[in-house]
Amino acid sequence: MKMKHISHLLLYIGATGLLVSCGKSFLNVQPKGLVLESNYYQNQSQAYAALTAAYSPLAWEVGGSDNTYIDKLGALNCGSDECYAGGGGPTDMATWQAFNSYSMTGALGPQAGLWDRNYTGINNANLVIQQVPGVPNMDAATKTEYVAEATFLRAYYYFDLVREFGNIPLITHPLTADEIYTQVQTSPDSVYIQIETDLKAAIAILPPTQLPDSMGRVTKGAANALLGKVILTENNTARMQEAAGYFEAVNSSGLYQLLPNFADIFNPANKFNSESVFEIYHSAAGNAGWGSWPNIQGNVYAQMTGPRSYSGPVFWSGGWSFNPIMPGLAAFMKGDPRYSATILNVDSLSKAGAATYTAGFDNSGYFMLKFAPLSSEVSSTGQPELNFPNDYIEIRLADTYLMEAEALVRGGGDASKAQSYLDQVRARVGLPSVPATLDNIYNERRLELATEGHRWFDLVRTGQAAAVLASKGFKATNAILPIPLVELNNTKLKQNPGYQ
Amino acid sequence: MKKAIVLFFLTCLCALPVSLWAQSLQISGRIVSKTTGNPLAGATVRLKGTDQATISDGQGNFTIKAKQGNVLVITYIGADPLEFRVGTDQAPVIGLQEKAGNLEDVVVVGYGTQKKSLVTGAISSVKAADLDNMPVTRADQALEGRVSGVTIASSNGAPGSAPTVNIRGITSINGNTPLYVVDGTIVDVGGLDYLNPADIASIEVLKDAASAAIYGSRGGAGVIIITTKKGREGPAKVSYEGYFGTQSPQRKLDLTNATQYATLRNESSLAAGNGIIFQNPQSLGAGTNWQNTIFSNALVENHDISVSGGTDKALYFTSFGYYDQQGIVAKSVSNYKRFNARINSSFKIKPWATFGENFGYSYIRSQGGLNTNSEFGGPLSSAINLDPTTPEIITDPTVLSQNPYSTEPVIKNGQGQPYAISKYVGQEITNPLAYLQTQQGNYGWSHNMVGNVYLNLEPIKGLKLTTSFNAKQAFYGNESFTPIFFLNSSTTNLTNTSFYRENDQGFIWNWDNTVSYTYNLGEHHFYILGGTSAQANTGSGVNGTYLGLPVTNFQEASMNYSLAPANRIAGGFEAQPYRISSLIARFTYNYAEKYLLTANFRRDGSSHFGPDNLYGPFPSISVGWVPTKEKFLLNNGVFNDLKIRAGYGVNGNDNLPPFLYVSTVSGGRNYPFGEGGGVVVGYSPNAPANPKLKWEQNSQADAGFDATIFTHFNASFDVFEKKTSGMLLQEQIPGYVGASGEPYGNIANMEDKGVELELGYNQRIGQVNLSVKGNISHITNQITNLGIQNKYFVGANFQASGYEISRVADGHPMDAFYGFKTEGIFQTQAQINNYVNKGGQLIQPNAKPGDFKYADLDGDGAITQADRTYIGNPLPDWTFGFNINAAYKNFDVVLFAQGVAGNQIFQGYRRLDITAANYMSTALDRWTGPGTSNNYPRLVDGDPNGNFSNPTSFYLQNGSYLKLKTLQLGYTLPHNLTSHIGFTKIRIYVSGNNLITLTKYNGFDPEIGGSQGIGTGNANQYGVDNGIYPQARSFLVGLNVGF
Repeated sequence: MKMKHISHLLLYIGATGLLVSCGKSFLNVQPKGLVLESNYYQNQSQAYAALTAAYSPLAWEVGGSDNTYIDKLGALNCGSDECYAGGGGPTDMATWQAFNSYSMTGALGPQAGLWDRNYTGINNANLVIQQVPGVPNMDAATKTEYVAEATFLRAYYYFDLVREFGNIPLITHPLTADEIYTQVQTSPDSVYIQIETDLKAAIAILPPTQLPDSMGRVTKGAANALLGKVILTENNTARMQEAAGYFEAVNSSGLYQLLPNFADIFNPANKFNSESVFEIYHSAAGNAGWGSWPNIQGNVYAQMTGPRSYSGPVFWSGGWSFNPIMPGLAAFMKGDPRYSATILNVDSLSKAGAATYTAGFDNSGYFMLKFAPLSSEVSSTGQPELNFPNDYIEIRLADTYLMEAEALVRGGGDASKAQSYLDQVRARVGLPSVPATLDNIYNERRLELATEGHRWFDLVRTGQAAAVLASKGFKATNAILPIPLVELNNTKLKQNPGYQ
Repeated sequence: MKKAIVLFFLTCLCALPVSLWAQSLQISGRIVSKTTGNPLAGATVRLKGTDQATISDGQGNFTIKAKQGNVLVITYIGADPLEFRVGTDQAPVIGLQEKAGNLEDVVVVGYGTQKKSLVTGAISSVKAADLDNMPVTRADQALEGRVSGVTIASSNGAPGSAPTVNIRGITSINGNTPLYVVDGTIVDVGGLDYLNPADIASIEVLKDAASAAIYGSRGGAGVIIITTKKGREGPAKVSYEGYFGTQSPQRKLDLTNATQYATLRNESSLAAGNGIIFQNPQSLGAGTNWQNTIFSNALVENHDISVSGGTDKALYFTSFGYYDQQGIVAKSVSNYKRFNARINSSFKIKPWATFGENFGYSYIRSQGGLNTNSEFGGPLSSAINLDPTTPEIITDPTVLSQNPYSTEPVIKNGQGQPYAISKYVGQEITNPLAYLQTQQGNYGWSHNMVGNVYLNLEPIKGLKLTTSFNAKQAFYGNESFTPIFFLNSSTTNLTNTSFYRENDQGFIWNWDNTVSYTYNLGEHHFYILGGTSAQANTGSGVNGTYLGLPVTNFQEASMNYSLAPANRIAGGFEAQPYRISSLIARFTYNYAEKYLLTANFRRDGSSHFGPDNLYGPFPSISVGWVPTKEKFLLNNGVFNDLKIRAGYGVNGNDNLPPFLYVSTVSGGRNYPFGEGGGVVVGYSPNAPANPKLKWEQNSQADAGFDATIFTHFNASFDVFEKKTSGMLLQEQIPGYVGASGEPYGNIANMEDKGVELELGYNQRIGQVNLSVKGNISHITNQITNLGIQNKYFVGANFQASGYEISRVADGHPMDAFYGFKTEGIFQTQAQINNYVNKGGQLIQPNAKPGDFKYADLDGDGAITQADRTYIGNPLPDWTFGFNINAAYKNFDVVLFAQGVAGNQIFQGYRRLDITAANYMSTALDRWTGPGTSNNYPRLVDGDPNGNFSNPTSFYLQNGSYLKLKTLQLGYTLPHNLTSHIGFTKIRIYVSGNNLITLTKYNGFDPEIGGSQGIGTGNANQYGVDNGIYPQARSFLVGLNVGF
């Protein structure tokens, strides 16, 4: 009996010992559905996924540290003289309302979304630039092309940042843990130098066109156009000819043409049309539902701008009445052939009994058409609010025509060429020639590019903002936005003047 | 009082022989305490020289077959054995001389038990006797107000909701839930939801690190050990406990009625330079009281039946429970049902070997899609914010013929009348009656199987081997249907119905093996225990959404419908694996039960850490001295018992997501490419990795004493200091890093200091048995370090305000409220003009009379964000509870009250971004002209001075309260009456819960829990009331039967 007990005991102790000794391997567990970074960037498809991540913030409707709604176009339209913030009430989308009324503070305004979008893009681009050259089993030409695309994207994001915030940290590699809090703001000049360097590098590599299955990836034309725009924005008269040269590389490339019908540019059926130089892709193919948040590839901004409780032609019924068009723009465009593709006067439809809707905050009755939630575009799969397919054309041929015209005029270049580009833009919509003066070119930009997100930047870079936006409360310090308050926490960053 | 449960542990060990029923008379006696006269439950009465035995019930009564002249041997924990010769009295009252105090109890200490008189740590214990007849829904609620140092607050009054449980204050920024161990099973996931409170034999709370160190890394926030009831030797004992009752809201908010609302809105609009909104406010009358549309009386019922018994070879306890509660808010979609079954049994397979199992099963079905404590809709938030001028339904034919009623899929009632849509209040705030129609049928469910099997061996006297395999398997999920609806112009679902179903499962097991040896050498008593423990958690789930089902409601929805593949969306997850491997050791020594020592040690390895910091050691030591056993204090006439103790120990915490020590890459950074816009999945690194991550460490020193004084009083006192260092925390890194997530680090330190006192008083005064227990704790919490870079972390946000309302900051309590300091209200323009800086410029140039005057704290001559400061503390300084039990003849009364003091509540009911939202009636006392108010500012649309959008003490209220939780009156039918009809006990009672709350707080209920949190978007912070589902007041009628 005793022996038996002891054998039990030994068995027991043996089993316990076994458990202890296998402790270390017991604890060695492998993640599920999660790849270790050290095992990543090992082949071309992983490099492509990394490149895709660098594109991803372009189309962010939702993102940032708290995954809120942060469309870029909506914010910029609110800040310009084109749209009010609108919405359901005076504090609906408070970030936009603050931009609309120029009551932004470090804590309130659209800055956090814009900041996070661009810096996430920069980090993801930096990762491509850092990692892709070392990817094994991948041909060198593809590597170079991926890096060139990422370099373009980094320049694009920095161009947005430097125009929006002026004083920003310039980060050109993924930060290590001990670099996080040591970053300081640099001068806009050094940011512009980096942007130009990146774009020149990208121009040298990027292909002139992308194959249909790579539609949405950037081209040499996009890089040329962006570099021209960057130099134009830098406002150095001595370099206007240089800017015109980059535009000319696009305009005379033969790869792009103005669409005969102005309204067709914005039709989601005409994605990446011949006028599109750099386009931000939105897609309903993700079938996003509310559960997909924040991974939404549809255009939520379209949903935001539709009239509320609407019943009538063109729009779908469930819009939220943000960014109603300011009466000033409607009046300015009255009689222009592009009006009917830009603005829908729902108020007059309603008075004529052709439509009903609920007026939102700051309702003007004028609704945006270029990125409208059309009833014909309501997605039959997924949540309709999240699946409008409208793209943003960041740079299109009419814009590069007008920018080249502007650069030529400002730089004392070929006046007839300037005139010709201005004329082509006007002729497309059946308008006669007007002299290619700076004022006429700026007027044309306002008419041609209304509500496409250029106006606020144009007003600031041409020095018209103070005069034009005075009624909204614009002060000189509002030419750049406040640094997001949270960026000042524990860092070396300083708030922009006027927002302390 | 009742010690049945304690005894029943011991009976298991004593191996009472099975009864041999002698042909004899029946004696029905009663066992009482000689000192107090209180009945003694759980005393063993044995017929001397036979195997026949019984146990006294809750009233001290026992029945045994015995003849005149027989001798009964009565044994009772905490009393000397007594022999009683049966005389002519068929119902003798037998007095037992109790040893002073209740220090002879046995407490569960983790991987074993210890005599309470020898415990040197701070362990509080609640026995079944304290919980019997108490209508608590959940095991954790049972602790509320009963144990010092434990703060429990309902975070939500919705049926079945888990309360917030904090042991000795906030232990960590990063999760503060105690470890729950039920019969040895670690129930990490899903908590105690599954457990039937009626099955609980005892709850032990290990409060200090000296005690909790045996649970090492899992015990940082304290440990709650629950032991379920076991059978005991004797014939089958059946007991039924049940109650039935009705619940109602304790309090509704005082909101403005339609006339008042319209008056205020007109005033606010005019002040902003706009026109009048309501032409004739008086004509609107009272309007709609939206609270009345969602609050209602609701039913609750509970039935538990158990059968237990056994022989010297086998013991069993088996039970069935049913609990059904409707919610007082929107009961059509707020209710909770739970079915429980339990089988606990053990078998003595050899004299030295016991095999057994404890197994519990539960099924829970609950509805509760109410989205409470959120400003983003839900019926409660809507009832608070919706204007009273909107009617419940629309009957006017002209309105019916207009947009939206004629054009949109508005929700209609049973008579086909549409529910009204407010013309003024929109966004997520909708007609609650219509909203509820969109939620019908949606529910969640769970099946839980929790149990263990164990083998105890004692091959040599004193040497015990135990192996126990414990597991919890949960299956859970939910189903919901979203119809086509138009609730208002921004809350719609216009194109596709959707039907969602989710099925998940989680499995946790832990296997514990221990060896212990007891050795006595004269008065030297040694005990040593060693062992191992391993734990693993896994889980997975799948879900699917069917979009565009051709049905209109939940009942008709089915996944049998054929839909295009694009409209059948599937999802799922797998929990990342989590494992712990541990070594356990305990050593105790005492000399003559006078000088006591306990040392614990645990080494844990966790898969949450990298190779550098895989293992963490967690030691503790505690000592005690019992002066009353010293000669100079023997029979001193004051202290019957006194034990002085002190301890120090270290615990840890590995509560963080897995694989943070290594950099990982994830998808979801998507972008469409190519014709057709197919989404390409982009990959990028997640939050930056931190290979140096290591265990968060909680060290705690504790000193205290336990005493029995003048026989009738007992006291337990503790003072402690708890230091948490290297708290695992997500760093709020700047956005310019561009990372997809925030890294974790061992960043911050925190400190809790406190004192706790438990007092008790037991005495029989005349015919009345009186027992009074009270406890009070004072705890202060402070962040002592946030790392080198961090001055503070952002706590909770407040709706659309750009300013956070709380911060986690060095030198301040966790989640301290943060905002502007107001210095009253500008009564006149002159006061604004006089409020100037050094340069003579106005400090608030845009202010108008009636606006808040903000203190220029940084002295820069302007009001900026730098003028914010700490304005309040959400954590109570004091928590207290008391309990009075009194019995007179067959009547008994229980009174239980509980409360907190010294905290503030941030009340964020009103939607800031909806100008037209309804007001609390305190707005009627707003500033309307010089001298009218110095604390409620003027109403003005747009709020240019930020009177309401800036966080200030305007939103803070005193959160102190004292709540009468339970008042119960019971009557036990006389024993001789019930025993004739074969029952051992019949008791009926009436009980009222949450009857009275004394508080200055004007919200629904000052008892609000919530989680402590950092980071933006955390709306559920401790002490923030955004419209918490209030607890119900209930009246119950109950019945306890035993036979």
